[in-house]
Amino acid sequence: MTEREHSDRPVRLLLVDDEAHFRDAIARRLEKRGFTVSKAPDGGTALEILEKDPIDVVVTDVKMPGMDGIELLGRIKDLHPEIEVLLLTGHAALDDGVAGIKAGAFDYLTKPIELEQLAGKIRHAHDKILREEEKRREAEFRRQVEEQMIVTERLASLGTLSTGMAHEINNPLAIIKESAGWLSMILDKPEMADMPRRSDFRKGLEKITDGVERARRITHQLLGGVQKRSETIVDVDLKDLAAESTELVAREAANKGVEIVHQIEPDARRIRTDPYALRQALINLVNNAVQATQSGTVAIAARRAGGAIEIQVRDTGPGIPAEYRKKIFEPFFTTKDPGKGTGLGLYVTRNILEKLGGGIEVESSVGKGTTFTISLPVAEPTGADGRNKRNPR
Amino acid sequence: MVKIPIRVLVVDDEKDFVEMLSLRLNESGQKVVQAFNGKECLDILEKDGVDVVVLDLKMPGMDGIEVLKEIKQRFPLVEVVMLTGHGTAETAVEGMKLGAYDYLLKPADFEELLGKLEAARNRKESQEERIRRAEAKLMVRRSGGLS
Ligand SMILES: Nc1ncnc2c1ncn2[C@@H]1O[C@H](COP(=O)(O)OP(=O)(O)OP(=O)(O)O)[C@@H](O)[C@H]1O
Ligand SMILES: [Mg+2]
Ligand SMILES: [Mg+2]
Repeated sequence: MTEREHSDRPVRLLLVDDEAHFRDAIARRLEKRGFTVSKAPDGGTALEILEKDPIDVVVTDVKMPGMDGIELLGRIKDLHPEIEVLLLTGHAALDDGVAGIKAGAFDYLTKPIELEQLAGKIRHAHDKILREEEKRREAEFRRQVEEQMIVTERLASLGTLSTGMAHEINNPLAIIKESAGWLSMILDKPEMADMPRRSDFRKGLEKITDGVERARRITHQLLGGVQKRSETIVDVDLKDLAAESTELVAREAANKGVEIVHQIEPDARRIRTDPYALRQALINLVNNAVQATQSGTVAIAARRAGGAIEIQVRDTGPGIPAEYRKKIFEPFFTTKDPGKGTGLGLYVTRNILEKLGGGIEVESSVGKGTTFTISLPVAEPTGADGRNKRNPR
Repeated sequence: MVKIPIRVLVVDDEKDFVEMLSLRLNESGQKVVQAFNGKECLDILEKDGVDVVVLDLKMPGMDGIEVLKEIKQRFPLVEVVMLTGHGTAETAVEGMKLGAYDYLLKPADFEELLGKLEAARNRKESQEERIRRAEAKLMVRRSGGLS
């Protein structure tokens, strides 16, 4: 597909020859055949043109005063390795051609040249460029997929580990909580009213309770809360859901002077999904956005994108530095103070969206703001059933 | 108004947890019995009057879900509140389908737990009341038929 696109575009040529007459004649004839031709009288000018204009193939004379064609070839291969070079050699200078190929020329032609032959070679050179481009794209794509897989696997194993830990920690936490609760009850009894250093005991017990509460928030968030309903896929109005999701932070936003705007397009209002889960995901994103933004806007927007609905949470906050961007979806990654952030918000959000059959991506530019983009299928054709199957636990 | 104590059976393999929760429930005026596994739980239900069982789901030997099934089969009026550290959405849904009154994840909020225990006990009592009335009706009809 991309190959077709590229080969439909005219081949961009640079013709280098010190003989103006020859140069102009060849250029004119090549242009007639659909090539786009730039011209240069010498190697220096050629390099200048290559600096600023996109060129696919260079056709250069070998015998030129100053920089000759072989030298020019060397410079081009250094500076623009993706450009292919065709050499035009003198009648009795076979050696030049051989040397040129050794130095990386695509091919050579002996003067006087035959135009049909030249055009053919140029096309071949161009084909080679397209093949190389395709190879590079494939390699890049493979690299990205592999990188993504490493991230995904890492997240999956981190997820399993932390869920297991949350389970194990809940039991001792419960023991601590009940013990502290029991002692507090005793402390409240009338017969304890005159107990020496009663307030010290109370203070200690309060700290224990607060600490347990903090740990409990972490473990419970990791386990995604417990939902007792099995049937939760219903028709959802995104306009209402967006309003509910921003309700909790409306006050904080207003205090800071952050404006919250809703941009739900009419054809993106209805979606079939789990409203509780989606609301939780949106709340997490909106909270992050409002917390990050000092003044400006937090927008929650939805639009239709084919069979999917795209929901964006955008802010005009400080942005996320590139080195953090890969980590923000990991459990426990946070830049907030201890006790202020668990680093679970985005981890949980990503899990929720995957369970709903969608995904989440982030774009951010430091100093300008951040956009999280959720994409979800408009309808879940398999319903709640397919959802459960996708998540055997 | 004096509150009528709820008769609670706490079942959990975590002995310290059972002890501490029982002390706290006792302190708040409930009547508590303890069991450390499924078998003990069923034995106690056999001989003691219990309103609500607080049931752990992950126990060695008889698993909580199995215990729940057994309770609902043999003592259908006894209510069960599941309380577990190993909660997943799936076990919660399964437990509710099997007739548990509610489901809480450890560590639970004590007031919330107490609220659920009370509501569960009330459900049990109204159920028993309905059965008593139905039986009485049946008796009246029978004696009526005899005369
Ligand atoms: N909109 C945003 N702008 C700038 N940074 C963000 C934004 N959203 C997330 N981050 C960064 O990603 C980190 C992880 O976010 P996440 O929601 O997972 O955890 P948290 O917000 O730190 O903790 P919690 O969600 O428990 O409050 C944040 O600490 C912050 O550094
Ligand atoms: Mg957050
Ligand atoms: Mg257990």
